[in-house]
Amino acid sequence: MRSFKAYFKKEILESARTNKYLILFVGTVFWALMDPLMLKLLPLLLKNYLPADLAVLFSTFTRDTAFQTFLKDLFQIGTLFIVFSLMGLLSNEVYLKKLVFPYSRGANPTGVVLAKYIHHAATISLFILIAFLTNYFYINRLFTGGILSIEIALKSSLLYILYYSVLLSILLYLSSLFRRGLVAGISVLVFVYSLSIFNRFKVVRAYLPNYLLLKANDIGHIFDNSLIPTVIVSFSLIILLVFFSILRMKKVDVA
Amino acid sequence: MIKVVNLRKNYGRLEALKSISFEVEKGSVFGFIGRNGAGKTTTMNILTGLIRFNGGEIFIKGKDFLKNKQELVRSIGYLPETPTFYNYMNAYEYLNFIGKIIGYDLKKSRKSVGRLLETVKLAKQGKRRIGGYSRGMKQRLALAVAFMNSPEILFLDEPASALDPEGRMEMLEIIEGLKDNKITIFLSTHILNDADRVCDKICIIDEGKILLTKNLSRLHETYIQPIFDVEFEEDPGDEVNLLKKLNWVESIKENGRRISIYVKDIGYAKKEILKEISKLNVNVTGYQVRKSTLEDIFMRMVSKNEII
Repeated sequence: MRSFKAYFKKEILESARTNKYLILFVGTVFWALMDPLMLKLLPLLLKNYLPADLAVLFSTFTRDTAFQTFLKDLFQIGTLFIVFSLMGLLSNEVYLKKLVFPYSRGANPTGVVLAKYIHHAATISLFILIAFLTNYFYINRLFTGGILSIEIALKSSLLYILYYSVLLSILLYLSSLFRRGLVAGISVLVFVYSLSIFNRFKVVRAYLPNYLLLKANDIGHIFDNSLIPTVIVSFSLIILLVFFSILRMKKVDVA
Repeated sequence: MIKVVNLRKNYGRLEALKSISFEVEKGSVFGFIGRNGAGKTTTMNILTGLIRFNGGEIFIKGKDFLKNKQELVRSIGYLPETPTFYNYMNAYEYLNFIGKIIGYDLKKSRKSVGRLLETVKLAKQGKRRIGGYSRGMKQRLALAVAFMNSPEILFLDEPASALDPEGRMEMLEIIEGLKDNKITIFLSTHILNDADRVCDKICIIDEGKILLTKNLSRLHETYIQPIFDVEFEEDPGDEVNLLKKLNWVESIKENGRRISIYVKDIGYAKKEILKEISKLNVNVTGYQVRKSTLEDIFMRMVSKNEII
């Protein structure tokens, strides 16, 4: 518990002073603000340059489609921000020998890993929640039509939070395996983007975390029984990967 | 206090430590000396629980280190050769962070941190970010970290390497002070004068093997063989080879116009050396018999690299 408390506070200080909070904020909340604005302004800005049929397409945006555009951008760009800003979670600590003093003074690897995971999972969850609420607020001001409600936005955000919690656990584990954060980051990106291939296969997809994103996009039918295996697999993955990261950090040579 | 038995460490195919054994008595200063890459830092990293080892046994305070690692490291302080910190923190924040890991409450941490920063003369710079510190300042902060929680055993890896002459003298005084407080110190250094001044026992390691472990006083008694320093008017060149051929001469260290002659038989050398020097075709301008220093003993040991 001592190591957990010390590292939790250290992660807060580090994220504030090395602008990690700012980067994560931009990577999530910025798109929530910008997406609806751009969707609204783009047809006006480009009205003289767009062919008529394309201009019609822009004018048909409802609150639902605007929300789905935000979800797509959050996955495509937000994931990059999250992965690249957190890829060195454990590898940097080991590679740069930052753990020499804490370990030599009795730091407990379980506390270190849990503090890192919980702090960043909480941060990402908070920013995602803020992003969804901000996006909902702007969509309601700028667009009409569709069935989007605050309840749908919150349900959708919960699935995104769970998805990014799984992604963070994968990142944490790979970061404990590799000495270079970049290798862990790229491996995670290749893994999560290639998982999208399985979205086509109905039998398999419900057992993969990417199904959470599919369901988050499925406005009106977000929570149903098909999510049960996905949620179970996601939580199991988080527990297993955090556990393996702890085991790895107990055995790794830190000097 | 520390007992190491047949300790082995491999890095892939490289045998960094080849079954080394030694003992460190409570309250003593144990000088661990060797060339770069000899295995000093590896040994210290193992004894502080930072890296694993491939074989052998370690006992600290009579307890098996592997089985009681978490408990034992709490009584150990470590000053690594190149300390690394979280550079965005200041010294107060970093020491409080380590204090939390050790288990200090806020009040104890504040009191202890202030006192430690005064001791290592960093109180004025305590609120500056560590990233802006010089190497010497980082070394002093590292010393403060090592001192936290009044450890019973201190591992100091080249503690004076980044310090200016004044800082080095202060460091030696600190070590002497700790010795008076009965703290066991494991000191790795390549500054042999420092080891000579503060250590009780010397252990010479080379290529992962212990060449010698002896009390400093016994070491001087055993290896007190004098060295004959001779200075010539000009560089003697090949003339020195005539001396090297003599069967009572062990080796000759050449340094321009000066040579140092190490001998196997002192009594015989004292009688014969002047006769032999006079046979050389170079004028002698100086001659003195010098007591061998720790540096001389070290050079002899590592050049032979065989267990005495």
